[in-house]
Amino acid sequence: MTTVPSHPPALAGRRDGAGFWERVMAWTCSVDHKKLGLMYIGCGLVFFLVGGLEASVMRLQLARANSDLISPETYNQLFTMHGTTMVFLVGMPVLLGFGNYLVPLMIGARDMAFPRLNAFGFWLFIFGGLLLYFSYLGADGLYGAGVAPDVGWFAYAPLTSRTFSRGNPTDYWILGIMVSGFGSMTTAINFMATIICMRCPGMKLMRMPLLVWMMLVVAFLVLVAIPILTAAQAMLLFDRQLGAHFFNPEVMGSALLWQHLFWFFGHPEVYILILPAFGFVSEIMPVFSRKVIFGYPLMIAATVGIGIISLGVWAHHMFAVGLGPVLDSFFTASTFLISVPTGIKIFNWLGTMWGGKLEFTTPMLFVTGFVAMFLIGGLTGIMLATVPFDWQLSDSYFVVGHFHYVLFGGTIFGIFGAIFYWFPKATGRMLSDRMGKITFWLMFIGFTLTFMPMHISGVLGMPRRIYTYELDRGLEIWNFISSIGVPVQAAGILLLIWNIFRSLRKGRIAGPDPWNAWTLEWATSSPPPEWNFDRIPTVTSARPLWDAKNPENPDAHYV
Amino acid sequence: MSKHESHSGGEGLEEMPYLQRIPRSTPWPLVTAFGVTFIFAGIVTNPAVSAVGAIAGLVGLVGWFREVFPEEVTEAIPLEKAAEPLPAPELGPPPEKPLRRVVPEEIHPYRSGLFGGLAGGVAMAVVAVGWGLTTGQGFWLPINLLAGILVPSVGDADAAALGAFHASWFIAAICLHIALSVLVGTIFVVALPMMPRRPLLAGGIIAPIIWTGVAWASLRVVDPTLEQYISWPWFLGSQLAFGLVCAAVISRFNLVRLQVGRSLEDRLELEQGPGGKS
Repeated sequence: MTTVPSHPPALAGRRDGAGFWERVMAWTCSVDHKKLGLMYIGCGLVFFLVGGLEASVMRLQLARANSDLISPETYNQLFTMHGTTMVFLVGMPVLLGFGNYLVPLMIGARDMAFPRLNAFGFWLFIFGGLLLYFSYLGADGLYGAGVAPDVGWFAYAPLTSRTFSRGNPTDYWILGIMVSGFGSMTTAINFMATIICMRCPGMKLMRMPLLVWMMLVVAFLVLVAIPILTAAQAMLLFDRQLGAHFFNPEVMGSALLWQHLFWFFGHPEVYILILPAFGFVSEIMPVFSRKVIFGYPLMIAATVGIGIISLGVWAHHMFAVGLGPVLDSFFTASTFLISVPTGIKIFNWLGTMWGGKLEFTTPMLFVTGFVAMFLIGGLTGIMLATVPFDWQLSDSYFVVGHFHYVLFGGTIFGIFGAIFYWFPKATGRMLSDRMGKITFWLMFIGFTLTFMPMHISGVLGMPRRIYTYELDRGLEIWNFISSIGVPVQAAGILLLIWNIFRSLRKGRIAGPDPWNAWTLEWATSSPPPEWNFDRIPTVTSARPLWDAKNPENPDAHYV
Repeated sequence: MSKHESHSGGEGLEEMPYLQRIPRSTPWPLVTAFGVTFIFAGIVTNPAVSAVGAIAGLVGLVGWFREVFPEEVTEAIPLEKAAEPLPAPELGPPPEKPLRRVVPEEIHPYRSGLFGGLAGGVAMAVVAVGWGLTTGQGFWLPINLLAGILVPSVGDADAAALGAFHASWFIAAICLHIALSVLVGTIFVVALPMMPRRPLLAGGIIAPIIWTGVAWASLRVVDPTLEQYISWPWFLGSQLAFGLVCAAVISRFNLVRLQVGRSLEDRLELEQGPGGKS
């Protein structure tokens, strides 16, 4: 069943002898899902460096008390741009990029259902991001010079009204995210059409790789959540540009309405950012445990359950508003409820590892780290879902620590694991495992140093978004430790960048299936040809390559 | 073969796009996206920017339209058999006994969980009511405290009210008690066969001890009234009574082998159409 033609081990799409401009045109005009996926990931990682740099400056500012390294205005811009960048320009594009690259390969298709729409979505994302960052040059703020948005990544009303947010930076925030959001919606439509309509012979829904299932649910969530944000942003734009007053309480508008609309998008967004990472773990962990995933149907049910429940938990971000006991109880209960399918996933991953022949390669280290870090983030999430606890710690550094455990320890660790796992497929060369392990430990230690103390500084009363703090509040040591973690993480990221560039030229040739894996992307060459498979495969179970390699004991007999 | 499987069986393959040809590279999506972005950018810069964006967007859309109408512009895949799917791998016959260990291989029948849960629930109720009577707090106290999980007004009741009969509280407590007992009984059905060596010990004693620990940690949030009045030794006793009785009843039923590898239709013995599965 395996179809492994020999294609040159170089970066996908690169044509030997092609000139620079020809290569540029080959990438910019491409509608090939693999090139678009790689461009999503590449651009997302560039934004990751920018967002990381913004965070580093903030941590430098907070490393000691009463620091005046940067002004309060600059600090406001930094945390706004950091949050916006990491959510909209790093998390979403990188994850959608992996989906773009992998989904057609995993379901045995030759491309996405709408290849040109796919390219359109990518370019909207990149132009939206550039429009947002153009605010540094083009948005005339209070001082007549270009300034970045400074209203926080969730841009609460009435801070975003023209009265409090002068000039155009907030409008850049609205428009940049809105344009980028259009791209995400087109991509989501494409995922759904591709997954539902373009599966190869034998690829029933209950034989799809779990990552594909996760991307299907993510596409559903994107289509439900992003239009709400876009609508809210359009309303805000009317408020700011045309004098409407949707969010102005002085003239019958409602500032609370913005919070409801934003978080109705915002909490599913968390799952948009974490579900693909769940998919990475679910693909990588069985391969390096040499076991079939534990509870495949239950994993699918849990994913769908998370997708549905995540639409009904948004107001747990708003407990401090004073919603009343009924709403507080409802949203506490629904948030507790979502921990059930999430817990099922954790147990199933552990069940997959249990009794397996574990091989701790770099991807496996990252996904194991993911499980540990995400579990901590999930548990602090449950603590914050308890109203009295939330009232004490809402908008404190405890919350900052919590969501970084989910989105950095979870999503970013998952992404790093995915980079190490699928890099050989995309380029035909292996990343250095030795450097990868050093990267993992630097990231793990740096991450823990930075974000674990935030829980303590939060409990001690440090509010988020303050640009400095007084001496003798007991906050100095915890902030100093948090800041120390940044260069450790930076070293890990720089080592990864070096590893990537070095391996592109000198990495060991990977071959089609370097991990002895089981899903269809490993049935074609590395990198795959533009048409993915020389002949469309026919599959008999959720692990088609296992069946092909072990016809005497195939999965087909057990599912 | 079912309609659902027709695509997977290859019969609908000719409907699958890009079998022999793949889409050609095109700049129009980029141009269109550029135009859309500029239309929006004009709002915060200059109307001329929006005008440029509108023109670029229109040019892009026209170019894109001509890419797909009247016929999609594609490139041929330079392979002879690109449109022919590979046949499925030839698999060996299914083994008499599964080669893999599927846990659990055998479980007790689900009805045993129903009986076990109900019996355990009665045992637990006897111990709990015994606590109320022997400590002089009354027959109804443990029942009302249990109702507090569902009925918020129990939290406002004083000691006298908690010791008295309330029909609505009683119904709430009974419903909750039966539902939880049957649920835990059903879990025991699957869990007991997987316990190492002595299921009665693990399921009947260790599990209730662990559960008591969890309840001790979480009850102040779930039901503060119950937490305020509870006697933990008696609570543990009632949990042990449930665990032992439930496990003992369930273990009297013979184990049933799980039917691994059989489809849901097979297990439900649905009618099969001529020539195979319906």
